[in-house]
Amino acid sequence: MAPKGKKPVPSKPAPKEVKKSAPPKASSGGVVKAKEKALKAKKNVVRGRHDKKNRKVRTSVHFRRPKTLKLPRNPKYPRKSVNRTNKLDQYALIKYPLTTESAMKKIEDNNTLVFIVDKRANKPMIKQAVKKLYNIDVAKVNTLIRPDCEKKAYVRLASDHDGLDVANKIGII
Amino acid sequence: MAKVKAKDLRGKKKEELLKQLDELKTELQTLRVAKVTGGAAAKLAKIYTVRKSVARVLTVINQTQKENLRKFYRKKAFKPKDLRHKKTRALRRALTPYELKIKSKKEQRKQRLYPQRKLCQEF
Repeated sequence: MAPKGKKPVPSKPAPKEVKKSAPPKASSGGVVKAKEKALKAKKNVVRGRHDKKNRKVRTSVHFRRPKTLKLPRNPKYPRKSVNRTNKLDQYALIKYPLTTESAMKKIEDNNTLVFIVDKRANKPMIKQAVKKLYNIDVAKVNTLIRPDCEKKAYVRLASDHDGLDVANKIGII
Repeated sequence: MAKVKAKDLRGKKKEELLKQLDELKTELQTLRVAKVTGGAAAKLAKIYTVRKSVARVLTVINQTQKENLRKFYRKKAFKPKDLRHKKTRALRRALTPYELKIKSKKEQRKQRLYPQRKLCQEF
């Protein structure tokens, strides 16, 4: 019966039979009316509605994907059992201080220490590491990569530190 | 400093181990500075032992951590992938023993009715 192949409303076979016998039952008019309404609803579902009254107003030519529900992630198990520890910690970052003549000159004159650091270190990391390792304040860090692929860091100390004292403490002198 | 032995390390708690790790690493730093400033031979020889001690502590930390995780996930249905059997990629995708064993009704019937006979048996 349904040209579009839609499933008819399941509870509706009874009303059809009632409708046939409706005309003789003039007394139960209210019941008949309800059944008729139900029949009409069924017909609408089966045939589909083409009425122009309740058509959606489209104000744009484009069809935008409607927003659907996006659930946050809730994994049943972590993919990695344990996250990797930071292999480049402060100890691995700063390899050793330089004790060449020019480095010594820098300690005395410019209040800077010279370190060989890991090539993957960057200036803020070097600053943090030096602060943590030697408990000193750092004014700024300049870096360069030597021709033998090692990174050299010139660490300028804050003015309230004395380069010579710090160097003594570290053991450079 | 006394020799660091794994046997002693295994009894310790994680915080203690991490603290010991820190101490060892600072010692390694000072030894490296000594190397640059031309330190005594004793100091230079010590670098090797300290490096290996660091390795030992890290090994104990990671081993106990993995062991505890495995214990935690033992009864669970879903484990993290690095705690599952490694085997090989093909084996992981193969049919399970149960899946290999199941037979259809048809096959069961056939096997019941026409089992493999052994004829001409030697006495």
